[in-house]
Amino acid sequence: MKTALKLAFRNLIGAGLRTWLNVLVLSFSFVVIIWMNGLMAGWDYQAKTDMTNWQIGGGQYWHEQYDPYDPFTLTESHAPVPAGFSDELARGTMEPILVVQGTIYPEGRMQPVAITGIRPGQEILMIPTFALDTVVTDAVPAVIGAVLSRNMQVKEGDRLTMRWRDANGMFDATEILVIKVFSSNVPAVEAGQIYIPLEKLRSMTLLEDEATLVTFSDSEKERQDAGEWVHKSKDELTAPVDEIIKTKTVGQSVFYGILLLLAMLAVFDTQVLSIFRRQKEIGTYIALGYTRREVVGLFTVEGAMHSVLAAVVAALYGFPFLWWQAREGWTMPIEASEFGMAMAQTLYPVYSAGLVIATVLIVVLVTTIVSYLPSRKIAKMNPTEALRGRIQ
Amino acid sequence: MIKFLIKGLIRDKSRSRLPVIVVAIGVMLTVFLHAYITGFMGDTIEMNARFSHGHVKVMTRAYAENMNQLPLDLALMDVEELLNNLQQQYPEYAWTPRIQFGGLVDAPDENGETKAQGPAAGFAMDFLSEGSREADRLNISKSIVRGRMVQEQGEALLSDDFASKLRVEPGDEVTLIGSTMNGSMTMYNFRVAGTVSFGTEVLDRGSILVDIEDARLALDMYDAAAEVVGFLQTGFYDNEMALNTASSFNNKYTAAEDEFAPVMKTLSQQGSMGQYVELSNVWAVYITMVFVLAMALVLWNAGLLGGLRRYGEFGVRLAMGEEKGHVYRTLIYESVLIGIAGTIFGTATGLFLAALVQEYGIDISGMMEGSSMMMPSIIRTRITPVDYYIGFIPGLFSTVIGTMLAGIGIYKRKTSQLFKELEA
Amino acid sequence: MKYILTAFLTVWLVTGYSQPKAEEILERIDQNMSSENRVFESSMTIHGKRSSRTITSKSWSVGDEKSFTEYLSPAREQGTKMLKLEDQLWIYSPSTDRTIQISGHMLRQSVMGSDLSYEDMMDDRKLTDTYDAEVTGSEEVDGRKAWVLELTAKVDDVAYAARKLWVDAERYIPLREDLFAKSGQLLKRSVMSDVVEVDGRWFPKTILYKDMLKQGDGTEFKMLDIKFNQDIPEHIFSKASLKM
Repeated sequence: MKTALKLAFRNLIGAGLRTWLNVLVLSFSFVVIIWMNGLMAGWDYQAKTDMTNWQIGGGQYWHEQYDPYDPFTLTESHAPVPAGFSDELARGTMEPILVVQGTIYPEGRMQPVAITGIRPGQEILMIPTFALDTVVTDAVPAVIGAVLSRNMQVKEGDRLTMRWRDANGMFDATEILVIKVFSSNVPAVEAGQIYIPLEKLRSMTLLEDEATLVTFSDSEKERQDAGEWVHKSKDELTAPVDEIIKTKTVGQSVFYGILLLLAMLAVFDTQVLSIFRRQKEIGTYIALGYTRREVVGLFTVEGAMHSVLAAVVAALYGFPFLWWQAREGWTMPIEASEFGMAMAQTLYPVYSAGLVIATVLIVVLVTTIVSYLPSRKIAKMNPTEALRGRIQ
Repeated sequence: MIKFLIKGLIRDKSRSRLPVIVVAIGVMLTVFLHAYITGFMGDTIEMNARFSHGHVKVMTRAYAENMNQLPLDLALMDVEELLNNLQQQYPEYAWTPRIQFGGLVDAPDENGETKAQGPAAGFAMDFLSEGSREADRLNISKSIVRGRMVQEQGEALLSDDFASKLRVEPGDEVTLIGSTMNGSMTMYNFRVAGTVSFGTEVLDRGSILVDIEDARLALDMYDAAAEVVGFLQTGFYDNEMALNTASSFNNKYTAAEDEFAPVMKTLSQQGSMGQYVELSNVWAVYITMVFVLAMALVLWNAGLLGGLRRYGEFGVRLAMGEEKGHVYRTLIYESVLIGIAGTIFGTATGLFLAALVQEYGIDISGMMEGSSMMMPSIIRTRITPVDYYIGFIPGLFSTVIGTMLAGIGIYKRKTSQLFKELEA
Repeated sequence: MKYILTAFLTVWLVTGYSQPKAEEILERIDQNMSSENRVFESSMTIHGKRSSRTITSKSWSVGDEKSFTEYLSPAREQGTKMLKLEDQLWIYSPSTDRTIQISGHMLRQSVMGSDLSYEDMMDDRKLTDTYDAEVTGSEEVDGRKAWVLELTAKVDDVAYAARKLWVDAERYIPLREDLFAKSGQLLKRSVMSDVVEVDGRWFPKTILYKDMLKQGDGTEFKMLDIKFNQDIPEHIFSKASLKM
């Protein structure tokens, strides 16, 4: 076996440029497959991290009436925060959020919004709620997302009239002052919502101690529904991300397939020629006492070794490239937030050992099969004829 | 000379068959891949175009500014005239009016009392007039879950989840409660023709799709429409062309200070679609470049291999007194012929495959079960003019360069050596 | 809001010029209203961004609890009927032949595109039950002396926390009303004009109603014809009559 490997290696290197061309193409396949899959994994990871950081924390409890797609449910979807949550609330690992329907009037145009009450000191979400601690005497401090800011043409420092109803249906209106416009990669938190201090909203609406959502940071803890509060795990809340990534991945795999097919075409062609040109050599091997199977094995190993060399070459230039990508990220020339899902402008690929090993295994396996197929012809050769170099 | 070479190629299968096959397969893959990338990247664009943006869209200026609120009071009027103008001036587009509206759908029980009610997102399109392709654009026939497509006035499609929530079946009557263009409350009855599922949560939770004439009656929008969308007759978005159309159209209305004057926006001028268009072009170029490069390497290799195969033959020819230069040149000529033959053959098969996938698509819905995103469940290729010549880059040039490099061996080796190879 | 509608139908007694108690004024008005029945035709002109529309209707009502309205024009609205009983509201549309109860968030929709919501029409409790009133002075409105009444909600489930009312000191009809949010923000304003005498009662024929937060020119109501103390058959205030 050792001799076979050595021999195969020598033969390959001896073939010079031809081998290196094959190796280069194969190494492309390695790097491209790993990079693209890494991008997808990175996107998935990043989208979920962004959602965790900006929107859902480690998971949420929803009031049973709450439906984020139906603003009409907001009137009904609030209740006092269950007593069972008090420990986590006290530790700051749980944050109650109250959402109330409201209307703002930028330049006299009537615009519905969701008024979201959130504690200024909360540390679960990255929304800059600290800005809500700003002392404003004649208005309510508010924080809004960039999407809302763009859609309704509202800027930092703007004052707006906001109207809502308290729990009894009595109208109330006040001026809000936009302290900060934030941008995240999560459009859901940026569009149609105005963040104001939780206690302020509670007193404005006479909904003391009530909430619509409760976000918690500890996703590991076993949790059940609590009365009228429905537990939504992180996995449940991030499921849409998985779906979009899945489509993209399926679509891309066709690309890998074609790239691999191309590399295989090269290997196949090389193998066919090797066997054609080296019949004398094959005859010699057999004359020397190699069984046909061993000779087939030798040629197969030789072909398969392309992929091993390719792995080495891929590592040589691929490793720095992939590492650089993982560090610097791949910046898309677009603003991605309007696609309606969490997506950052710069994606940082994430490579797992599994991904690398799987890619190497697949490429080596496929190369081996492709190398083996033409080699089978050897088994049918007549050794004496082969020795004479006759074309058969 | 060429005739002679062709004869040689045809008679000596080992000289022609394998190399042509290799080139052809390589070219086929390149062409197919290019069409695939274009299609895959373009799918999201076309999807957005079909469902909301159009390739170009005409709205009033005021509507365009507040587009995300669906302000019907700012809709276009005298649409018939506008449509006629558009059709005359820009016949390369198919023009069609649309209205998006909000409202409540109310399902009655046997006594006519409300049985169930829910908020709905309404889409009004030209389903019924002759030659309208709106149903195809939305791929409605494939999206129907129960019942059938709208066939006459007064019929509607409901999203399947919504119909279940309202407990209505195809054939039942529902009442749309909405606001007219003037803000009046309005009610309008629809018979549920069928239910649809588009595979996107936003559309599937509460949509009602109706014919535009019904919507006009219901919403008091006689000869009005929220928007008129245009689709290039080719079926595919062409950014440059759309931009030209839009600027030519908008030039005619620059004088008008009227906020209700029509304004045309291309797909790339709506939302961040422009950036996506940009992105997909960049991506397609990257991927194609990587691929063409890889392909060039492979065909270069094939060229080398083709040259090597024939060292014996060269030996004989040199021994017979043929000039090295002549042998080399004929080798190159042959590779040109092989390259051309392979490229033509490969491009043809590549285009054929791409056309098949463009027509039928690769259905990945099985892999996408339970998806709630607005995602294409069928991947289609898209053939662009580039596909007709892109194969020549690797197919012809790489083959010839490969052969040129391989042929250098002729000069390097001694005649006797080459002759020995023949003997071998 | 209450006054916008009730102004059409209320008898205002002339009681001299001495400053009366606010409660007295309101009490008297409330008494008059709840015992009153009337039949009237009115028009509503909505000033839209592009054009203005006028809608006419005929209404029958008893007190503030029961009312039945049929729209007469334009053609599109003709035959649309609206029935209000206590705190319930139904709308019948002839084109669909359906009667739909307007409830929940639908109440917040605008009436025929005006600056007025269905909910604004639904509040039929007596002002004296829901507000504490105080006369804070007198001002001149359109050349007439008017008492200024400030009303503060004494229950917490009314839409407006405070109202300010200008009442003609001689004829005892409201000339203007401002509605305020809890914070004191002015939300809506109505201005009454064209005061005429009908059956010996003073009556403002025109009311301009405006949502103060929104852009626009507001909504104008005009009383075209009004009759008091008519014989209104009881069956008109039933759901069955909507379909007739």
